[in-house]
Amino acid sequence: MSNLAYMDTESLAERGLSTAGIPTNTLPTVNNPDQAFANITRQEYLDYVKNYRGFEEGLLSKAQTDTSLIDQAREDVGTAQGLAGGIASRTASRYGAALTPAQIQQQQLMLQRANTLGGVQSVNDARIAQREANTGLLADLINIGQGVNRSSQSQLGSAAGDAMSRQNAFTQAKAASKAQTYSTIGSLGSMAIMALAF
Amino acid sequence: MGARPKSQDYQASAAEQASASTAMAEYQYFKQKYDPLLQQMRDQSLTADVQSGLRGRAGADTMQALTSAPSYAQTQSATRTGDIAQAYQGQLGVANVAAKDIQNKMQTNVLGTARGQAADAQSGMAQASRLATSEALTRARANQEVAQAKVSAAGQVAGSLLGQGLENMSTRGGTASPNQFSGTFFTPVDAAGNRMSSPGSRLGFSKVFGG
Repeated sequence: MSNLAYMDTESLAERGLSTAGIPTNTLPTVNNPDQAFANITRQEYLDYVKNYRGFEEGLLSKAQTDTSLIDQAREDVGTAQGLAGGIASRTASRYGAALTPAQIQQQQLMLQRANTLGGVQSVNDARIAQREANTGLLADLINIGQGVNRSSQSQLGSAAGDAMSRQNAFTQAKAASKAQTYSTIGSLGSMAIMALAF
Repeated sequence: MGARPKSQDYQASAAEQASASTAMAEYQYFKQKYDPLLQQMRDQSLTADVQSGLRGRAGADTMQALTSAPSYAQTQSATRTGDIAQAYQGQLGVANVAAKDIQNKMQTNVLGTARGQAADAQSGMAQASRLATSEALTRARANQEVAQAKVSAAGQVAGSLLGQGLENMSTRGGTASPNQFSGTFFTPVDAAGNRMSSPGSRLGFSKVFGG
């Protein structure tokens, strides 16, 4: 299947972007980078919500509730016993070994005991491994979330700084304009006074 | 009075336009080429059956180690079957853990990339839109200063004109009333009451050349 089949052409069109193909020798004209940036930022978030939010929440839930390793270890106890019993039976058959009933009973008991002990160990190991896997997954998710959080706060801080700079520039421009106006009026007035005094 | 800023003075420089265009082209390329791949990886991380392969390998390893050299003596052993069962369980457990680790890594890699992608889009385009802005701003500021200087000069000329006009109006000449004349805003009168309207008479009246 072509990669283009996965293209989210609708969201590209919403952003005013060409979906006609990959430009190889021309660059798109960006008349208003500010608006383009705003559109992309907004759309990127919507894309994330559409494509990855459910995935992320699934991972968060899995990191806290997953017991698949333990469940699998429990299932494997029965599988291993059947497999080992089959191997013993086939080997005995291959060599024509005639076991006494007492030997057969003893072998079965040993298999059952070993399988049970092995199963207990397996499940306990699986519990530890499950805890490690879940903790590792949660730590990775927290790292990702913390990175996003850090980036968002930085972005917000930048926006706040820009807003403050704009406000300061506006205030300074107003003050400068007023000062210039008063200076010109003062200059005219002073000339008029000097002339009148003459 | 400050001159009004002109919008053309604040237009993007060529470097800034090229930077924004390049960033937009890269963004489009990414969205068309890599974003679909990342979504494919997301789906694969959820559906890929890594565990079966690893469990099969674990089982094969166990059997190869423990049953590749069968013997009659093995049939008589009471503990061998149990050993095989325990070893098989242990190997399957290792395989399960490895598969889980692979799957978790695949999923967190996808999510990390997706989340990083959003963050990069935020910071990258912001940088692109700020590139070379200082040059444009410097040019705009220079133009603004020139415009303000022009206004200031115009104010000084207007002030001089006003002063001279008032000075002209204050001139008096001629004998006593009713034959005394006053200057107008644009034309002064000399002591004799003559109107200084021609350039020559004005120069003589102003005494600029010592007249």
